[in-house]
Amino acid sequence: MDVGVRNRKNKASPKSGKKTKAAEGGQTHPADTDALKRSIEKLQHLNENINRDSGDGESAPDTPPPETAPDSSPPSTPTTSPDDFPDKKVQSSPKATRSSQQKKARNSAKASQDTQPPLKLSLHVDGMSVTLFVVSFLTRIWRLDSPRGIVFDELHYGKYAGLYMQNTFFFDSQPPLGKQLIAFAAYLAGFDGGFKFERIGTPYDAMVPVAAMRMVPAFFGSLLMPTVYNLMVELGLSHYTGALAAFLMIFDNALLAQSRYILMEGILLFFGLFGLLCILKFRRFYSRPYSLPWFGCLILGAASLTACVCVRYFGIFTMLLGIGILVRDFWEMVGDRMLSERQLLGHLVTRAVIFTTIPVALYLSCFYVHLTLLYKAGPNDNIMTSAFQASLEGGLASIISNQPVKVVHGSQITLRHTHGRTCWLHSHDAVYPVKYADNRGSSHQQQVTCYSYKDVNNWWIVKKPEKEEMVVTEPHEPIRHGDVIQLVHGLSSRALNAHDVAAPMSPHNQEVAAYIDYNVSMPAQTFWYVDLLNADATEGNWHAVESQIRLIHVNSSQALKFSGRQLPDWGFRQHEIVTDKIIDQEDTIWNVEEHRYGKTEDKKEREKDLLRSEMIPLERRNLTYWSKLYELQYKMLFNNQENVAGHMYASEPLDWLFLKRGVAYWISANSNAQVHFLGNIVVWLSGTVALLGYVALFVVYLLRRQRSCYDLPESAWNKFCTVGEILGIGYAVHYFPYFLVDRTLFLHHYMPAYVFKICLLAAMVEHGHYLLSEYLRAPRLARAYLTGVGLWAASILYVFWFFSPVTYGTRDLTANEVMSLAWRDTWDLIIHKQ
Amino acid sequence: MKYRQCDSPAVWWAVFGAVCLLTAATRFYNVGQPEHVVWDETHFGKFGSWYINRTFFFDVHPPLGKMLIGAFGYLTGYDGTFPFVKPGDSYEGVSYIGMRVCCTAMGACLVPFAFIIVWEMTLSLPAATFASSLILFDIGLLTLTQYILLDPILLFFIMGSVVGMVKFHAQRERAFSGSWWGWLAFTGFMLSGSVSTKFVGLFVVVFVGLHTIATLWDLYGDLRNPLSLVAKHFLSRALGLILLPIILYCAYFYIHLTILCKSGNGDGFYSSAFQSQLEGNSLYNASMPLELAYGAEITLKNARTGGGYLHSHIHLYPEGVGARQQQITTYSHKDFNNKWLVKKWNEEPADWEDEDEPIELVKNGDLVRLEHVPTGRNLHSHREAAPVTKRHHQVTGYGENGEGDVNDVWRVEVEGGAEGVPVKTVVHRLRLVHYLVGCALMSHNKQLPKWGYEQMEVTCNPNVHDPNNLWNVEDNQFPRLPNSSFEIYAPNFIEKFIESHTPKEGEITSQPWQWPINFKGQWFSAIDGFKVYLLGHPLIWWGNLVVLAAFVVVYCRHSYARQRGAPIDAATKARRDRTLGACGWLALAWALHYLPFYAMGRILYFHHYFPALLFSSMLTGVILDYLFESLPGLVPRYLATTVYPTLTGLFYSTLAYSFYLFSPLAYGMHNLEPDWENHTIHKMRWLDTWEF
Repeated sequence: MDVGVRNRKNKASPKSGKKTKAAEGGQTHPADTDALKRSIEKLQHLNENINRDSGDGESAPDTPPPETAPDSSPPSTPTTSPDDFPDKKVQSSPKATRSSQQKKARNSAKASQDTQPPLKLSLHVDGMSVTLFVVSFLTRIWRLDSPRGIVFDELHYGKYAGLYMQNTFFFDSQPPLGKQLIAFAAYLAGFDGGFKFERIGTPYDAMVPVAAMRMVPAFFGSLLMPTVYNLMVELGLSHYTGALAAFLMIFDNALLAQSRYILMEGILLFFGLFGLLCILKFRRFYSRPYSLPWFGCLILGAASLTACVCVRYFGIFTMLLGIGILVRDFWEMVGDRMLSERQLLGHLVTRAVIFTTIPVALYLSCFYVHLTLLYKAGPNDNIMTSAFQASLEGGLASIISNQPVKVVHGSQITLRHTHGRTCWLHSHDAVYPVKYADNRGSSHQQQVTCYSYKDVNNWWIVKKPEKEEMVVTEPHEPIRHGDVIQLVHGLSSRALNAHDVAAPMSPHNQEVAAYIDYNVSMPAQTFWYVDLLNADATEGNWHAVESQIRLIHVNSSQALKFSGRQLPDWGFRQHEIVTDKIIDQEDTIWNVEEHRYGKTEDKKEREKDLLRSEMIPLERRNLTYWSKLYELQYKMLFNNQENVAGHMYASEPLDWLFLKRGVAYWISANSNAQVHFLGNIVVWLSGTVALLGYVALFVVYLLRRQRSCYDLPESAWNKFCTVGEILGIGYAVHYFPYFLVDRTLFLHHYMPAYVFKICLLAAMVEHGHYLLSEYLRAPRLARAYLTGVGLWAASILYVFWFFSPVTYGTRDLTANEVMSLAWRDTWDLIIHKQ
Repeated sequence: MKYRQCDSPAVWWAVFGAVCLLTAATRFYNVGQPEHVVWDETHFGKFGSWYINRTFFFDVHPPLGKMLIGAFGYLTGYDGTFPFVKPGDSYEGVSYIGMRVCCTAMGACLVPFAFIIVWEMTLSLPAATFASSLILFDIGLLTLTQYILLDPILLFFIMGSVVGMVKFHAQRERAFSGSWWGWLAFTGFMLSGSVSTKFVGLFVVVFVGLHTIATLWDLYGDLRNPLSLVAKHFLSRALGLILLPIILYCAYFYIHLTILCKSGNGDGFYSSAFQSQLEGNSLYNASMPLELAYGAEITLKNARTGGGYLHSHIHLYPEGVGARQQQITTYSHKDFNNKWLVKKWNEEPADWEDEDEPIELVKNGDLVRLEHVPTGRNLHSHREAAPVTKRHHQVTGYGENGEGDVNDVWRVEVEGGAEGVPVKTVVHRLRLVHYLVGCALMSHNKQLPKWGYEQMEVTCNPNVHDPNNLWNVEDNQFPRLPNSSFEIYAPNFIEKFIESHTPKEGEITSQPWQWPINFKGQWFSAIDGFKVYLLGHPLIWWGNLVVLAAFVVVYCRHSYARQRGAPIDAATKARRDRTLGACGWLALAWALHYLPFYAMGRILYFHHYFPALLFSSMLTGVILDYLFESLPGLVPRYLATTVYPTLTGLFYSTLAYSFYLFSPLAYGMHNLEPDWENHTIHKMRWLDTWEF
């Protein structure tokens, strides 16, 4: 067995030094070690737990009977489930309480061990976890439905829940899991989505189940506490330290606010940390690969981390951290020469398979739900392609429902720029200026632009070059892949033209214009090839909406392109159209959106034409899940959101370290009652100090070790390193990426990193105590230190209480009270002017 | 092995000499062509001229590179009169050759530098030759280092720093000897050069820093070395690699600021105080009251870099843009419309000339009104959306002849000043906070549309702590207060130095992922009759990528074997450790010079990849040598003696021949000549994105 790994196990019980020694002594016999280790693990759980091995008969006989521990756990009902693996904490609903039942369960567990029944029972009640959950849950659900108004981003998440209720499509650049959970709660509570989420502060009317919706983050935000507690224990820290970390989180106003209102952080944090916890638990089963708990931890970890990503893309960093831990452990395994290469490969493949299939499956299914539920057209459709919009009920489908499919000679069309910016090929009664600002000349022809709004000038008529009449002929002459056409602008009757003149904003491309015959030596070059990208799907015919086309200029073999640049005032700030010799790029793709046949002088005849034409069925078109998903993903990841710069409560990553600014979440319309997002300043600053302290201590230890001065015993040093590896690196990967983000940032973006910082803070408190009591051997100092910690905890409680009015937002405040809360002059709490 | 018996000094010098000769031949061939301004020569030539004319200008890059160009021009008889208006301008009669030759000479040093670096890192002559010839035959480097640009200078200093680093490392057995100190100082000098040419040079500082830390860490971990010795090592390196470069860097700036003493087009970018130091600027030798009194006429300048003057004019905001009141903007030029009168919030000021009235100074925290002198309107704000930044409040000019309403009241806050401090001209940075709304007067770079004459927007920002909210009083006219000379708050060198470090907007031209694959080049000269196109040698560039991948594979394999504890004989181990060690450092240097560009949202140009390319090419040389040497052991015996010479020969002949094929890109293509259509270069257009 690998020593490194075993060391980590031993570290897991720092409080019981004697037992650790015992374990080290017993390392000669693997079986003994196993047994001892298991008994140590048992002892760790101060609050009694029954730990029954469900696994492989061989080790079960060695297992000592579970010790009975003082029955100090708070009353709770244990649930038993036949295939729970041993370390899974079972959180039971804490309403029914009978300790006799607990005893019974324990007895039955004992009995089952003796007789080895085929049905294995495992039961584990962790009093501390339950307590932490209950306390945390109580703080979060206290007067959950007040304030009864839209608090900050509830504006978005509430709205999304409503849109889910109404099956209306919306576009958001973050994945949907969190929103779905909230929508599900709202659905259970009978919400019909009829409320308009208009602006922050609008009061909810009676039919909005605020409490139910807020219950979701509150629940997950409370589950976070036992998770953190167990995570700390798993890192080899003491139970007190774990409880301390959870305590700091329960009484941090920022975490409380984030998990009390309809916001994503509570859910995000829980999934992330629970995933990490599973990965750490997974280490325990190193010696029993491919056992049920081994698989359980791995799969649960992968699932939970994926869920985290499905709530917010930023969760990818948590996932990377989890994968990093696995990779690191695997690398240690490589050094274990007892394992053959085949076994190593097996391990690698298993992990890789689990960590690809589960995330992919979960991610896809959460989008499957999303796209299946949302089938009606809604407010954000414009951003999607015409084909996507046509697949939604009542959106584009209703506009284009009566239009013919096949584009033929004489068709009137609007051409939409398919990807990227939504705009339509446009021309109007204005010409390019003779000279541009940089003294280049132009052709002085009629401008052709891309216009972002629907307009009568967006209509073009498809014309075959050999025909003169711009009407649909009988029989129809469909345009096919590779045909040469002209596009005539509907209102001005001028043909789309390109020529070797530098375009106004992109001089390396050709200018596109609607051709005016000035009778100078500048001939018309108005022929274009139709290049259908998906010609096979339409059997080579050009279809409205469905076909994606490129228009290739015949004379120059360049493609019609949206350049992305904006024209100056003379072009009415519309977007520039050019031709580009690089044909294969996204901005050269177009599709027909609106389409009608006909256009004769005679109205009646047009109607007759329309009647004769092939109709599109009224219902929405089917677009496969995959093509919808692909498009949605593409738009989500590459959609450049408008930068909402200059939000008055925006802050910078560096401000977060010292809690320089909060965010006003809500203010009552007629009093100074308000919710202001602020952390508990004591926890906050202590966290930053602990972080610096850790780095400083680490450097000192490292410098000393390099000179072969080993101050800490190996086990303590290992523990110190593990803490840094998981918590320190966890903090770094959740914090530093924000320095590269080019978006408006708010304090709540710091929450994931902050959680790691709090954990590190608790670990540093323990390390401080260790240094005093073990390294300096100064018990008095250690006691004083503990007293200090107690006082510090009390001050945290005080600050929590002091700021609770602006966290809960339930109490009216006088102007003076508000002023007394603004401890720093950069905290802009709001006071209504009388 | 026989073919390696060539490491005698004579052979070494012969090979080195040959490399140098070839370098000189390729670099200086046709160096005077084309006889017109090429690409960015239009900038850097201009900067050179400005140094010669001593005119102040503003540029993002530190001064050394441009100063060197100026010096080259000065020494070779260029008089600084050519305007360098745009690329393609003919140099008729201008002695530009000197500047070109000097830049090319610096660029030519890259090849011998690479030779030395690889030699010192691997002690393998073939590896050194491979690496240097990869750099020698790269078309892109050849093109980039032939013109009056910053890049040859920057690359010279970057490679020079690494030469210094490896040479210094080679002296490790002779610590504190003369040559040890010499190379240390050399490294420091080169480092200062690369940072003072472009800030991209910081990456090489990081690289050298990491290398130094690693060696120090080993020294420190060796228990035979007493701590005092380690401290001595540390201090001497700090002296040579930190202190010396900083001193040199400051020295360059000192020279820069001393040479440029005349007002020029860069003035507006600097603060009022800075401008007061430039000959010809209106603030030069000006004098005005130090303190601000009620009744003074002032101009207010936005204190951010490049901020304009608070401005108003008789035009109103158009229909639909907030209230139809008079526009308030910022304007970068000095203008009568920038004048504002400072009044108490509740009373009109006394007459300027009235000697009886007591003079009252404006203090921190006072409530004031600001009246626009030419139009008599008050600076005003209210809860309407600002024209561009909708989240902010609109700022207008309101009232008649100074009569307005309560929304004209502003509170003056001195940044970092105590309550009640008198407000000072120029030196104090102020916030003007709207009394009723609680927002602060702000200006930024966003332009108003045509109706606002494209001047910059002024808004009232609800986020009071925004850095754009700071203003300073620049002009201050009040006859009854004594004038004091501006000299008293002239910035000293340090302040000038800090202020010279400011960012500038850049244009996005390409994506970092496109660079190593040579996706797209850059026209240097697109004039008909003589075309030059900057494009990396595709074989070298793509080969570099393949080899980089090979390095990763080889490295992983060895790490795996080591972790598994596979047995290995000492000789192989030594060779492998040396090779992989060298490769590791080179790969690190490559990553340091390349990856950070992904984090930069802008200022991304193709030629930024060239420093990284140098390291990548050196890495290729080392790995190729390692692989070529390992091969004979893997092939059948009768091939073993021939495989190495064959591969080497193949390598050099391919390089040389393809260099010949691609060389028209660098030496210029005459596209007006009759046989242009049949030119071989058309066949070399392997990617559609290459535009030649």
